[in-house]
Amino acid sequence: MTSTLDRAAPRARAAQPGPRGRPWLYLVPLVLALGVWVYGPLLWTGVLSLLDWNLISPNPEFVGVDNFVAVFGRPETTNALVRTGYYVLGMLPFATVIPMTLAILLWRRPGRAADGYRALLFSPVVLAPVATAISWQFLLSPQQGLVNTVLSGVGLPAPNWLGDPRTALPVIVLVTAGKIVALNMLLFSAALAGVDRRAIDAARIDGATEWETTRFIVLPQMLRTIALLSALCVIVAGQWVFTNVAALTRGGPDGATDNIYYRLYTEGFDFFDAGSASALAVAITLALALLFGAAALWNRRRSRA
Amino acid sequence: MNRIARSAGALLAALGLATVAACGGSSTDAGTASPTTPVELTFLGYSVGTPDLGGQAMQALIDEFQAQNPGITVKTQPVAVADVLTKLKADTAAGSPPDVAQIGWSKMAEAYADLPIAPVQELAGAEWADHVGGPTPIAPSLLEAVANEGVVKAMPFTMSVPTLYYNADLFRAAGLNPDTPPTSMAEIGAAAQAIARSGAAGTYIAAADVGKSDYLTQSLINTAGGSLVSPDGQVTVDGPEAVNALTQVQALTTSGAQPAISTADAITLFGSGRLGMLLASTGALASFEKASTGKFELRTAAFPTIDGKTAKPTYSGAGLAVLGDDKARQQAAWKFVKFMSTPQAYTTYAQKIGYLPLRPALANDPAYLKDYFAQNPRLLPALSQLDTVAPYQVFPGGQANRAVVVLQDEAVEPIVLRGADPTTTLKAAADKIRSLSTR
Repeated sequence: MTSTLDRAAPRARAAQPGPRGRPWLYLVPLVLALGVWVYGPLLWTGVLSLLDWNLISPNPEFVGVDNFVAVFGRPETTNALVRTGYYVLGMLPFATVIPMTLAILLWRRPGRAADGYRALLFSPVVLAPVATAISWQFLLSPQQGLVNTVLSGVGLPAPNWLGDPRTALPVIVLVTAGKIVALNMLLFSAALAGVDRRAIDAARIDGATEWETTRFIVLPQMLRTIALLSALCVIVAGQWVFTNVAALTRGGPDGATDNIYYRLYTEGFDFFDAGSASALAVAITLALALLFGAAALWNRRRSRA
Repeated sequence: MNRIARSAGALLAALGLATVAACGGSSTDAGTASPTTPVELTFLGYSVGTPDLGGQAMQALIDEFQAQNPGITVKTQPVAVADVLTKLKADTAAGSPPDVAQIGWSKMAEAYADLPIAPVQELAGAEWADHVGGPTPIAPSLLEAVANEGVVKAMPFTMSVPTLYYNADLFRAAGLNPDTPPTSMAEIGAAAQAIARSGAAGTYIAAADVGKSDYLTQSLINTAGGSLVSPDGQVTVDGPEAVNALTQVQALTTSGAQPAISTADAITLFGSGRLGMLLASTGALASFEKASTGKFELRTAAFPTIDGKTAKPTYSGAGLAVLGDDKARQQAAWKFVKFMSTPQAYTTYAQKIGYLPLRPALANDPAYLKDYFAQNPRLLPALSQLDTVAPYQVFPGGQANRAVVVLQDEAVEPIVLRGADPTTTLKAAADKIRSLSTR
């Protein structure tokens, strides 16, 4: 590697005009890619949100904030917002407490068995999302799914899990949870790798119990990871459940499993309403930007104090 | 600095080229074709490119067309049925629509409004009368039903109407005679009760469609004497006929004759031999025939009457539309569309996919379907109703898609599956649809 660099160095130096221009040249590919694939479309979405246009007709009409008024005036949007909140609340334990507990348990008993369990627990992450959703559809089928067959076999009621507005959302959360638990367990394991086992050994010698070492040594070092994964959950819980909502319930029954991202998709691709969909996308982006701005500000104030 | 500018310029150019190449697609190779130069047509559809029998049969037809027309090759673009309109709109916006597209009838009004469709009847010119007429004409009632502004713009291609599938074994087990299947909603209710008493699930009327399509809802409302939209364009989906139709379906659920499950679950249940009757599209026939083989005796009956009124099922399925404005390509595309609507083509759709032969005389023609139907009579009840078939109705205004979802999600599903009050629920949905259509 070094020899390659050495050989390349004189030629590279000859090609460089000066130290000031060089960083810009290195940045060009990235800036271009970001411009074309991220900021360009973002800007374009902003423009679309102000137009009444089906993307094809030659005369787009400028309508100002009409799209925003229309989309937020619809009861479906309010419902989707509320449901997104439910998803975040429902998903939070599966993004934090449960994967952390599993990660700590596996970390405390290192060895071949722990590696085996870790691999098993991680497997949902690598399964194809739609295939997993379809499998759940078969398992949860009200008349002949395995779940209800077992339940009615032991004399319990057999609900229509995905067809009943009361059970549909919790079921979607549970079905999605497997993957999130697996992924976050991996992130907690990575964080645990940074914990010094000698501190725990020292505490044990001082007579600390397993619980006390976890509570006073391990947990405090997990706080940053917990905060990060909680924030991530708030932002993307609605996106995590998207595949399952699309494949299993399509936002129904009675809008019970809708959320703001699925609503965005519905506006755009079921109704071909580019204006409403773009307005919703812009509103989501702004709301998240504000949320992050506030969090960053709070963080800075706290670290100064 | 000069070098930087040059490298940056080269990079920009490379990226620009890549972008152009990605967006260009077939618009660059489309060009203008004269009849003597070879033409490559693109054919976008959801019945092509599938690995099942239907997809294979469709490809065999395309191969035969190419063999008969050496100057024309047909490149298929398979898409999922739900994505057809999205893909067509995106391709049109990018300037490269396919030459021929299979578009569902329920989406056709929107397609006419937004896509550069060249009406097939006009492309055919003098050939039209001969093609749709002849010894085995395309059903005139059908051509009338699909015409738009007096012209047939898309060629009837695949078409299905709802039919009553029933499990003859469950009929016998419930003490019913499978040779005299129910002909009215009332009789369906009575038979379903008997089947439910014998331990299986009674019936399922697939009004709460998986794809949020209102095609069975329309069939029920039409048959009850009502309509979605009145001739003068008023939304009439909360009329007494519509309320009556959905009340009768709801009564099946509340009486225990119909399980309160989704259509997808009902289809699986019927296929496994545990549901007595299923009112659903003939498009499911091939898969039910496969599922029932060796398991139960599958039979079909015509769409039921409601309160003695004639059954008026709505058709679903798709038409073939020609897109783009290049005259030579349009003519090549018409040749293809013509080939795909010959007696031979409709025979293939009926045998391999279970779509109705849209030239009904084929059913009695020994050269085509007579022998097949003698062996497989299950499409015949639906075919006998082709004369009373009602056109698919589209809600007025530019938000018809949204209106259909309101009707299905906020009225039909809660009424037929969850016991919502038919009168007030339909009224609320209709008011919402009216406010959409005036916007």
